[in-house]
Amino acid sequence: MTTHMFNSRFDRRTLLKGAAALGAFQVTSPFIIAARGETPIRMGMVDPLTGVYAAPAGNEVMGAKLAVARINAQGGILGRQVELLVEDSANDVGTGVQKARKLIERDQVNFIIGDVNSGIAAAIAQVTAEKKILHIVSGGHTDSITGKDCKWNVFRVCNTTRMEANSVSNVLFNKYGKKWHFITPDYAFGHTLYDACTDDLKKLGGTVTGNELTPLGTTDFSAYLIKARAANPDVMILLVQGSDMINCLKQVVQFGLDKQIHVAGTQQELESLAALPPEARIGVWMFEWYWKQPGVPGVEKFVADIRKVNNGNVPTARHWFGYTSAMTFALVANQEKTTDAVKLATALENFELPDDVKLQPNKVYYRKGDHQLMTSAFIGEAQSKGKDDPEDLYRVDEVVPGDKTAPAVSETGCKVQWPS
Amino acid sequence: MMTQLLLFNVTNGLIIGAFYVLMALGLSLILNLSNVINFAHGGFLVIGGYIAYALAPYVGFWGALLLAPPLTAIIGLAVERVLIRPLYGRDPLYSLLLTFGLAFMIEDGTRFIFGPQGKPFAIPPFLAQPLSNDLFFITGYRLFMVAVVVIAIALLFLLLRYTRLGIRIRAGTLDLETVAALGINVRMLRSLNFAVGIFLAGLSGVLAAGQLGLEPTMGTGLLMPSFIAIIVGGIGSLPGTLAGGLLIGVASGVTAVFFPAASEAVIYVLMAVILLARPRGLFGEEGMLT
Repeated sequence: MTTHMFNSRFDRRTLLKGAAALGAFQVTSPFIIAARGETPIRMGMVDPLTGVYAAPAGNEVMGAKLAVARINAQGGILGRQVELLVEDSANDVGTGVQKARKLIERDQVNFIIGDVNSGIAAAIAQVTAEKKILHIVSGGHTDSITGKDCKWNVFRVCNTTRMEANSVSNVLFNKYGKKWHFITPDYAFGHTLYDACTDDLKKLGGTVTGNELTPLGTTDFSAYLIKARAANPDVMILLVQGSDMINCLKQVVQFGLDKQIHVAGTQQELESLAALPPEARIGVWMFEWYWKQPGVPGVEKFVADIRKVNNGNVPTARHWFGYTSAMTFALVANQEKTTDAVKLATALENFELPDDVKLQPNKVYYRKGDHQLMTSAFIGEAQSKGKDDPEDLYRVDEVVPGDKTAPAVSETGCKVQWPS
Repeated sequence: MMTQLLLFNVTNGLIIGAFYVLMALGLSLILNLSNVINFAHGGFLVIGGYIAYALAPYVGFWGALLLAPPLTAIIGLAVERVLIRPLYGRDPLYSLLLTFGLAFMIEDGTRFIFGPQGKPFAIPPFLAQPLSNDLFFITGYRLFMVAVVVIAIALLFLLLRYTRLGIRIRAGTLDLETVAALGINVRMLRSLNFAVGIFLAGLSGVLAAGQLGLEPTMGTGLLMPSFIAIIVGGIGSLPGTLAGGLLIGVASGVTAVFFPAASEAVIYVLMAVILLARPRGLFGEEGMLT
C-alpha cells in the first residue's frame, strides 16, 4: 500500500486524456415541469442551460414555463394538460441532437422548441424533420434555418441574421460612418450575420476594414482589439454574443477604445447589458424585444408575471422567445383541433399572433414560404443607467416591423418540401 | 506599422501569459507533490471571484483582494481533507475524475446561488485607465495584475527556496517516500501545499473578476491554457510552468495578428510540437513521467 502510494505517478497520457476531457465540459440536467392529467401533451425543449449561453437559455425556458402555466390555466391543448420537458444541449451539437432524439423517441413529445445556438438548432431541425415533429426554433438566428435549409416542420420565432442586419445597418452607417471593422464569433451565427452586414454595407457604399473571427467562449479580446484599432475604422461592429459580448465590450471600454472609435453592433440583449458595468453600456443596437412598451396590450401583465418567477427581474427578449414558441403550439393546435404535425404546419403558414402573445405594436405572423416569424426590431441605444427602473438599460427609438427587415421569400433560398 | 502591431501583440501576450502562469503555478504545485490533476482548479478560481464579489460591497475592492484568496484556500483545505486525501494512494485517475466532477458541481452551485447571468465587478477607477491612446491595451489594471502576479511568484519562490515548508515540498516532489521516512508529516505537507495552490487559484479569480466580470463558466476557459502551460513548460518544473505560460500567451497574441481564427488553436499546436520534439516539456525533468 505504502509503496503504491508513492509510486502512483500519473503518466503523460493520463494528463492528455484528462485535458481532452475538459473540452467536453458538460453537464446534463433534465427535469420535468407540470406533470398533470393522464395523457398530457408534451413539449420538449432543448437549450444550452450550461456554457456561454446559459443565461439566455435559462430565460427562454422560464418564458416557456410561463406559457405552459397559462395554457394549462386556460384548459390546456385539446382539453389535455401540457407538460414541458427541458433538456440541456450543453452548447454542443452532438449533445443537442442526442437530447432531441431522446425527447422524441423516449418521451414521445408532440412538439420541440430550441436551441439558442444556431448550429445546434439547425442540427436538431434535421432530427425533427426526419421524425415529423413540429419544431419552433426559439433563439438560433442563422439565416439557413428559414433559408436554404428550411423545412416544412420548422418555424422560427427570433429574427434571422439578415433581418437583424437590415434593421440597423442604415442607422449605424448614417450615425457612425462608412468604414466598419467586425469582431465576429467564429460559428454559423457569426458568419451569416457578418455576410448580412457586409452586404448591407456594400449597398450603402461603405468599406470593411477587417474581420476578426473569434472562437466562441473567448475571454480575452485584447489581441483582436489591437488589430481592429490598427485598421483605423470609423466604427467597430461587435457581432459576438453572450459572455463574449460582455467580455469584449468591457475590454473595449477599459482600453478607452470607445473614446477613439465608435462601438456598436446589431443584436444586443438585456442579459449582456445587465452584466456590464454602467460605463460599458454604450452604442446603437437592435433588440428583438423590449420589456418597456407603454400602452402595448399584454406587455405589462407579461412583465409582472415574469418578475414573480425571476427574482423580481424583468423579462428579456429570450423570455419572450420561449413564451411565444410554446404559446404558438397551443394556439394553432387548439384552433385546428389536432396534434398532427403536417396539418399544424400548414395552418401556421401566415398564422398571426394575438396581442397577448406578440406583445409588440406591429403585425406579427409566421410567413408562408419560409416559416419565419415576422417580428419587429427594436432599434435604439444602450443606456448606462435606467431612469425609472434599474433594468431600463435600453432606449427604444424605433420599432421596425419584420416585413420591412426580412428579405423577400424568394431571396431567402427557402423552398419548403412537404412530406408526400 | 506591422512591427508595431507585432510588438503590441507580444507585450499583450506577455500580460495574458502572466495570468495563465498564476493559475498554472497553483495547478503545478498540486500536481508535482500530490499527483493530483486538479480539474476543479477553474472552479476554485470561480469561487475566489464570487467570494470577492460577495465581499466587495462591505470591504471594497482591496479588502476583497486580500480576503478572497485565503478564504478560497480554506475551502480548498476542507475539500482536500474530505474528498481528495482518501484518494492519494490510488491511481491518479481517481482524483482526476473526482476533481472533474467537482468542477461541474462548483459551476452549477455557483449558478444556483448567484444565477446564470454574468455579474459586473467594479475595480478602482484609477486602475481603469489605459496608459495612452496608442498603448491602450496596457491599462492600469492590467499592469497591476502583472505586478500582483510577479509579487506572488516571487513570494512563492522565496517560500519554496527558504522556508522549511517550501524545502519539504520540493523534497517531496522529488522523493516523497524518503521525505516520509525522515519523519515528516506528509499528510500535513500535502494539505498545506494544496492550500497554497488553491490560494493562487483564488487570487487568479479576483484578478480575473476585475478584468472580465463574473460568470459561473469563467473558470473553464482559463483552465485549459494553464494545463497547456504546464505541459509545454515541463511537468515537475515551476520555472518551466512560468516559461510555458508566457510562451503560450505570446504565441496566441502573435497568431492573432496574422490568423485571428487560429489564435486559440495555436497553443494546442505549440503543445503538440513541443511534445514531439521534447516529450518532457521545455524544462521538465526526465523521469517525472512514466
